[in-house]
Amino acid sequence: MRILSLILTITVLLVWPGEHLGAEKSGGGGIGAEIDPTPDNPYPDLLEKETEGEAPDLLEDDPFFTGPRTYLRDPIFEDDFSFRKPPPPIDDPLESFNRVMFTFNDKVYYWVLKPTKKVYSSILPEDIRRCLGNAFANIAAPIRFINNVLQGEFEDAGVVLGRFLINSTLGIVGLGDAAYRDFHIEPRQADFGQTLGKWGVGEGIYLCLPFLGPSNVRDTFGFFGDAYMHPVPYITENFGTDLVYLGVSRINLMTITPDVYEELKRISLDPYVAARQAYYDYRRSIITK
Amino acid sequence: MKQMKKHIAILLVVMAVMLSGLQASGQEESPTNQLKPTIASLFAILDDVSLKGNQHVVERRAKIMAAISDRFDFREMSKRVLGQTWHDLSDSEKDHFVTQVTKLLENVYIGKLESYGGRDVEFVAERIKGKRAQVTTLVPYEGSKIPIHYIMQREQDEWMVYDINIEGVSLVRNYMEQFSSILREQKYQGLIKVIEEKNKTFAAEYGAS
Repeated sequence: MRILSLILTITVLLVWPGEHLGAEKSGGGGIGAEIDPTPDNPYPDLLEKETEGEAPDLLEDDPFFTGPRTYLRDPIFEDDFSFRKPPPPIDDPLESFNRVMFTFNDKVYYWVLKPTKKVYSSILPEDIRRCLGNAFANIAAPIRFINNVLQGEFEDAGVVLGRFLINSTLGIVGLGDAAYRDFHIEPRQADFGQTLGKWGVGEGIYLCLPFLGPSNVRDTFGFFGDAYMHPVPYITENFGTDLVYLGVSRINLMTITPDVYEELKRISLDPYVAARQAYYDYRRSIITK
Repeated sequence: MKQMKKHIAILLVVMAVMLSGLQASGQEESPTNQLKPTIASLFAILDDVSLKGNQHVVERRAKIMAAISDRFDFREMSKRVLGQTWHDLSDSEKDHFVTQVTKLLENVYIGKLESYGGRDVEFVAERIKGKRAQVTTLVPYEGSKIPIHYIMQREQDEWMVYDINIEGVSLVRNYMEQFSSILREQKYQGLIKVIEEKNKTFAAEYGAS
């Protein structure tokens, strides 16, 4: 009798979990229904077909599991690893030079840009600065249009063109963002560094450029590439005027967007490393998207 | 016979336990559904008028941390941020490190949400791969929508957040890089001092203004 009930108990113990986990299969659609574990594989890998909604894949890009070998003897990381090659580490052989440039830019920010920004904001009211910001962005539309075409993003290129036409006319030479206000068409970004990245061009070494900040070899080329797509130099044909235009549009942009640099400095232990990492994460995320 | 009754009773108890287990795992929810109430209570505290402003920062933050601690695994974040060095620490050092990193991440993450001041968080995407999941939210801010991704890992039936990714920038990775750069030159003792100092400046900032 004792043996019989023991066998019964064991049977129930063995069979039950399998049955109830199998039964979960029938549990409806929608988010959450994709979990379909079995006793020998309680955490099945469901990969991308189970994704709900649109978002970049950040799971494959997990930096902490650079392969089972690296951390195999490490109990924290043992149970998990990346299926894809991890992103290459940031190559920064010029770190000491870059750090000097970073400090230089820091001084430029606090001694020149910030006071200029203050004066500029006190002269022009916010709505005028926002209108100017719209106009500067509208004039630069060819950069976004050409790059979207080069990236094969024809839908985005169409959106850029549509926004440009609407804002140049209804928006009165781009001062108003009528495309967003009246038609809810949101802006689409694209730049030549990103285009090169999508074409498979590597990042090259990290560079902290004077006045311009974090970059790398590829994005520095991208910056000059974009300059060639900007219509203003073709109109002015004067390098000095172009620089003034660049300066004013940058200052204007700084007064209407959140203060990224001071915030970064505030929250970082090593602002140089934080800026470098944030720059790479951001650039990689808009290239692999 | 008596013996058998006893065994049947045990069997019934075992079955009852299993049934209740079945029910619990039957209610098992997706990462999005598990995260939603946590984020909702977080934003409810942020929106609470009686807790707004810098004079209430300590109380507000304490409430938020209490509300999210069952869904955010700050110990796991601390481990990941530190990497291999974690194993060299004593238990009390580990606890102290977790406290300091939790404080740091609280200042950064909650501080960021406070500055966005946004409500109406949208849950727009979910991705599950084995034990890990990614839940994407959009927080409105000044006419645009800031994507915040929560990277989660399954611990028993619970999906726990172990990284927060704001606009493509991973908090854990960003601090991991900064930490390893400091560790290389100043070792752990130097690092923990830098973190403590940073937390002090945050505290002074809120105290002063």
